[in-house]
Amino acid sequence: MTAADTPLVSVRHLAKRYGGVIAIADMSLDVRPGTIHAVVGENGAGKSTLMKILAGVVRPDGGEILIDGQPAELGSPVAARRHGIGIVFQELSLFPERSVLANLYVNREPGRYGIVSTRAMEDGSRDILARLGLDVDVHAPIARLSIGERQLVELARVLLERPRLLILDEPNSALNQRETERLFAILKDIATRGTTILYVSHRLEEVFSISDRITITRNGRDVSTHEIADVTIPQVIEGMIGAHQEELFPPPLPMRAGAASEFSVRGLANVHLRGIDLTARAGEVIGLAGLEGSGVSNLLAVLFGTERAKGEIRYPDGGGLPRSPTDAARRGVCLVPADRRRNGLMLDKSILFNISQVVFGAHGGPLGRYSQSVARERALRQIGKLRIKTRSPDALANELSGGNQQKVVIGKWLEIGPKVFLLDDPTRGVDVGAKREIYALIREMAADGGIVLFASTELPELTGLCDRILVLYRGRVAGELAGGAHDSRTLLHLINTGLMPPAAGRTGAAAEQAT
Amino acid sequence: MSETSPPASATPATPARRFRMPDEIGVIVALVVLMIFIGVARPRFLNPLNLLTLLGHTTFLGMLAVGMVFLLAIREIDLSVGWMFNLSAVVTALLMVAGVNPWLAAFIGILFGALLGLFNGALAVILRLPAIIVTLGTYSMFQGLSLVVDNSRAVVPQDQTSSFFTFASAKIGKIMPVTGAVFLVLAIAMHYVLHRTRFGYRVQAVGSNPEAAALAGISNATVRLQTLVLMGAICGLSGALYVGFRGAIDPNEGSDFVLAVVAAVIIGGTPLSGGSGTVIGAVIGMLIIQVISSGLIFFGIDATWSTFVTGAVIVIAVSLDQLVKYQRNRRAERLKAGR
Repeated sequence: MTAADTPLVSVRHLAKRYGGVIAIADMSLDVRPGTIHAVVGENGAGKSTLMKILAGVVRPDGGEILIDGQPAELGSPVAARRHGIGIVFQELSLFPERSVLANLYVNREPGRYGIVSTRAMEDGSRDILARLGLDVDVHAPIARLSIGERQLVELARVLLERPRLLILDEPNSALNQRETERLFAILKDIATRGTTILYVSHRLEEVFSISDRITITRNGRDVSTHEIADVTIPQVIEGMIGAHQEELFPPPLPMRAGAASEFSVRGLANVHLRGIDLTARAGEVIGLAGLEGSGVSNLLAVLFGTERAKGEIRYPDGGGLPRSPTDAARRGVCLVPADRRRNGLMLDKSILFNISQVVFGAHGGPLGRYSQSVARERALRQIGKLRIKTRSPDALANELSGGNQQKVVIGKWLEIGPKVFLLDDPTRGVDVGAKREIYALIREMAADGGIVLFASTELPELTGLCDRILVLYRGRVAGELAGGAHDSRTLLHLINTGLMPPAAGRTGAAAEQAT
Repeated sequence: MSETSPPASATPATPARRFRMPDEIGVIVALVVLMIFIGVARPRFLNPLNLLTLLGHTTFLGMLAVGMVFLLAIREIDLSVGWMFNLSAVVTALLMVAGVNPWLAAFIGILFGALLGLFNGALAVILRLPAIIVTLGTYSMFQGLSLVVDNSRAVVPQDQTSSFFTFASAKIGKIMPVTGAVFLVLAIAMHYVLHRTRFGYRVQAVGSNPEAAALAGISNATVRLQTLVLMGAICGLSGALYVGFRGAIDPNEGSDFVLAVVAAVIIGGTPLSGGSGTVIGAVIGMLIIQVISSGLIFFGIDATWSTFVTGAVIVIAVSLDQLVKYQRNRRAERLKAGR
């Protein structure tokens, strides 16, 4: 094995779990020096956790990391930086009130005797800013820059460290077409000069246009690694999704409630949404799909009354948009938020307290009595019905596993018998067993005459559970896929580009023959 | 998962309601130990008359502490309580001077306190500012108003023959001050309100996790407003009773209340991080503060030390609170890991 063949970074059997949630089960990866290496996978595949471990932000529970063939301890971001690893985070980590220069040189300001030299900062950053095409006032606070410009500043900051390994996690999520092209030109340029790049994305067309090698991940494991020339986009998608687990999704139940209520939205628009049309009947499960920023979360927020929008809306009770979440809760519209720990639960309170959130919190006047025994009865009913695994209703929400926490969030709403269910990624960070139970619950909601809007980032979920899927792209409905057997490839293409694939029919037929 | 399936499998067979020590047990023990300690060294301290005087001192500040529990429980602090107390008392006394029936004047004093609380609450809700910022300003506004209306002089209603004055300064069974009884009734009522009404539930929910509360349909703004109005009304009640009890209101009475009030609530075990609160604890906390300051006098230590000692007690109380929380978190982590 020659020196050139020694991987710059090797990851061996890495594992990481958060409480009861497995983020990385067993991940191995070799990154060769001077290459652009892409890591792709669905949400929850473990890509971001892997990058955070390499950046020294998160410590793994098991496995080892080799740098230049030597075992390395990446215990902190400083240690990672010493090894020449630089990372551009998905979330911006800039100081909005401080100037561009101050952000570029944070914590390593050049100067002498403790006096910072603005001149040295200007000189040192001029070249890199020019190459990135960032023509901004370097003394202006970051807050005045557009999101795209800020993302480039973030990249410039890391490039100034001259890393040997540059990690990019969805670096162009806020960049427009021209900025993205420029970014890619720069990445190719620095790669030819010897910098190794690890590139995380789920925009496959882009991955194929810039990377040399690609590693596919799924459920916290690396599925396979290929030279980019040896694979095609459909093959990569196949690897990302894996074999279909039909048994995960229970079949639809017969309708139990007769009332044919309807829910309709016409031309819903605000700054994030551009004319959304949507109708749903009682008993339907409607999927909502879209990238970050496509408007899915905004649509749910509007329908729940936390965001404003204009449009013609009719809820099953005949009213328009809820004025506030309180209004929504009183009218039987419920939201299961994506971030349940932050937005769904009071973690330091008991299950009993949490299940009372809506029924005692939103309903009735302030002087009404809060009866512990009634609250206990309600909690016991939901614990039994949803099979929440707990030692007692007095256990704190914090003590529960992710799946059981989510059941508490659902249970608090079931207590008021809602008519419209807005579910925002309800199975995020939940193990497979709990996922199956939540899917069964969604079937129950529909069978009881509920209208279910189900937003998810996991394609198998959408295709396995929904009667129809609405794909949002940049604030509008890019397409609607109807019928039970949705085609994952068409869906993924629609989500990522906002367009129906040109040869959708053909590839779909071919795939069906293959299986 | 159909309705008919027996849910028993996951249900705890009988809701286990083991006897649990009340959360206030720590402060109660601390108070008793403190009193025994002082009582052994200076037996005169345990004289019932002395203890009742102590309760009398606790009354007016203790009422404010009862209200402050609700504020800390929603992660807020009201700095203006001392001047809401003072201004309500001054208004009550001035109305009495003007010849208004003292009972009516006291009632108006309570409403006036609620109005001041409404002012705080409206500012906090409309400007979307924490109450601590708003009341930093209204602290001085209320102080200034008070100085303007009473000309920096004590207000003394001349005619004190009304039944209001006899009531407020009376003693039940010749020893228990009526004001002390009102205080205890208020504390019990507010304990009930915090733990057994929808309002109390909402206060705890908003304090525990405001985002989750909002998304469960609980209006944070309404709950904050209601809590600040409640605080004002309690200040009004305390102020009006004070006028009846003392027969006068000094221009600076109340200026140093706020620190003792917040200290009592924290010593009592209400966490600064919000989400829960204990009214009983706050009452005990205020008693601890009063016992310490009067104990110092019994030991012949200069009374100026009492401020220092109160501060030290707060530091010890919050340290213990952190320790308990740390251990509780570790236990939760262990429970989870064992799953």
